[in-house]
Amino acid sequence: MLSIRDLHAQIGARKILKGLNLEVRPGEVHAIMGPNGSGKSTLASVLAGRAGYEVTQGTATFLGHDLLALEPEERARKGVFLAFQYPVEIPGVNNAYLLKAALNAVRKEHGLPELDAFEFLQLIRDKMKLMQMDESFLNRGVNEGFSGGEKKRNEILQMAVLEPKLALLDETDSGLDIDALRVVANGVNSLRSPERAIVLVTHYQRLLDYIEPDYVHVLSDGRILRTGDRTLALELEKRGYDWVRQEASAA
Amino acid sequence: MSASALSPTVTRLRDEFERVRPALLGAPAVRAAAMARFTELGFPGAREEAWKYTSLRRLESRKFAPTVAPQDTTALPAALAAHRIVLTNGLAATDLPASLAGFSVRSLESPVETHTDHLLRPIGGLGTERFTALNAALSTSPLLLTMDAQTQSEDVLEISLHTSGSGPTLANPRITVRMGAHSRGRLLIDHTDDGQEHFANAVLDVELATGAELTVYRLQRQGDKSFHIERVEARVADGARFVLRDSQMGSSLARLDLHVTLDGRASSTELTGVFLADGSRHLDTHVLVEHRAVETTSLQDYRGIAANKGRGVFNGKSIVHEGAQKSNARQVNRNLLLTPGAEIDTKPDLEIYADDVQCSHGATTGQLDPNALFYLRSRGLDESEARSALTRAFAGAVLSKVDAPELAQHVHDEMDRRLVRLLEVTA
Repeated sequence: MLSIRDLHAQIGARKILKGLNLEVRPGEVHAIMGPNGSGKSTLASVLAGRAGYEVTQGTATFLGHDLLALEPEERARKGVFLAFQYPVEIPGVNNAYLLKAALNAVRKEHGLPELDAFEFLQLIRDKMKLMQMDESFLNRGVNEGFSGGEKKRNEILQMAVLEPKLALLDETDSGLDIDALRVVANGVNSLRSPERAIVLVTHYQRLLDYIEPDYVHVLSDGRILRTGDRTLALELEKRGYDWVRQEASAA
Repeated sequence: MSASALSPTVTRLRDEFERVRPALLGAPAVRAAAMARFTELGFPGAREEAWKYTSLRRLESRKFAPTVAPQDTTALPAALAAHRIVLTNGLAATDLPASLAGFSVRSLESPVETHTDHLLRPIGGLGTERFTALNAALSTSPLLLTMDAQTQSEDVLEISLHTSGSGPTLANPRITVRMGAHSRGRLLIDHTDDGQEHFANAVLDVELATGAELTVYRLQRQGDKSFHIERVEARVADGARFVLRDSQMGSSLARLDLHVTLDGRASSTELTGVFLADGSRHLDTHVLVEHRAVETTSLQDYRGIAANKGRGVFNGKSIVHEGAQKSNARQVNRNLLLTPGAEIDTKPDLEIYADDVQCSHGATTGQLDPNALFYLRSRGLDESEARSALTRAFAGAVLSKVDAPELAQHVHDEMDRRLVRLLEVTA
């Protein structure tokens, strides 16, 4: 589904990704872990199309499309979803408008008719229940005045509504207390399916207690140094990242 | 000043005044004095501080003529409120009702000679004094709206000020509003024209007695060719309140001078507005709020949007005079430049001569937040839709204060139409 080959990316003159390879197939859940500054968030941003990153080498192919050649909205419509580490507050643009516009953009891409207000509300109600969000959220500005936990739940709500093929979660666990983490994890788990792939970018193993990954990758200095199953995450939690780097440089 | 030193345009307007003078009703002495004042002041020169960013050379080069003849009223804009009075080229288009939406309605054409002095009182000072004087000299049906003490009405009285004519027409609509003690009313002033090149020179003069409240919704949506100059004056007595909800999106060149004097203890004013300078539109707003009594409160919250070759000018000034203790003056001006060629010049200004007051002012000019744009696009909205949503949100923060639902819808729609057009051009 997603195939990343030898990806190099930089911000200005600062090289961040230095030859990253990653293969994600439908139904899989991948966790990308690594120390601060290793390039985790850059990877998520480059895949979603955020401006300011220059890809100098390599490719990223998504369902046969050259992902890097697409505008951010084209990526979204083809089924890529990025849950932001820092969801943006947009006063004056309300959640209902954004959800409806986003959903209809995806539906249009797939040749489906737009949902009317009634159909939209029906669909949204169940998803909001899942994320334990009150309906009053719909009429508020996007993330406006939301707590950290509410913002992250709102990201997962959007994801649940848009049903992407590839979900990228950028440090979705950061800043969440244990109850909010459960709700968010529950939302993500409800979206696991054989057709959908999920890539979790995270600093801590904690999230992986709730969302069990099929693969765990260690990203360091812009490259994936080691790949394993979920026991690798537990080992990282115990031993830190240094031993991975040492073994990699010894090899 | 000798006649030979007058600019050709001033001379021509003086001649026009002589031409239409026999047809002008009431207050001949006041009109003559007003014309003399206009002649004396002439058009603003390039060095005049109040006109620093706005040149009237183009306006001065046109041959606008006043008219006193009744106009064709078949192509008037649709009414926005249930109660409406139409002035075409400053002239009442129909027989005026005696009262509407809680207001008593009179004009100089009804026998109210005793009112002529305050109807035509030229208002001194500010950069627009010359045009206020010109308006006083030439105004054809000065309208007097009074609300009796204790009368309170939630209805909106719409005053539609329409300019039209086969040649370049100078219209001088003038509205005088006198709110009795503890009265409460709402007015909509809607400026429109026939799309041709005209010059609307309007004056709104408001006085609020003790405890009165007036809300004015202002919509300036003249065609792209016209010139618009307007003076809004409000004097506010003890405990009274003047509210303006302004939206400016029309005309080739428009200037609004808004002057509120908080004369009475605990009087207050709230002035909020949006201007949209797209195309090659030039929109200049000067606000002056004077705190002249204790415990007075003012809020100015204006938002400006400019795109393409559009230019906005905002000059917001608050003066807290000596003795106006425990006053609170707040000013906010936020501006959005949608494209590189656009320009907004903003100047917040505060003068304080009392020591126990709370004052704040702030002005910002920026572009759409790139993080917010990316966020919306990452959800599948295309760039123009994302820009449009963010721009509407920016204006909406102020437009949402238009609390007459039907009117609010109209203002939003009008703004949306222009934003769609504008964002299509810039995309």
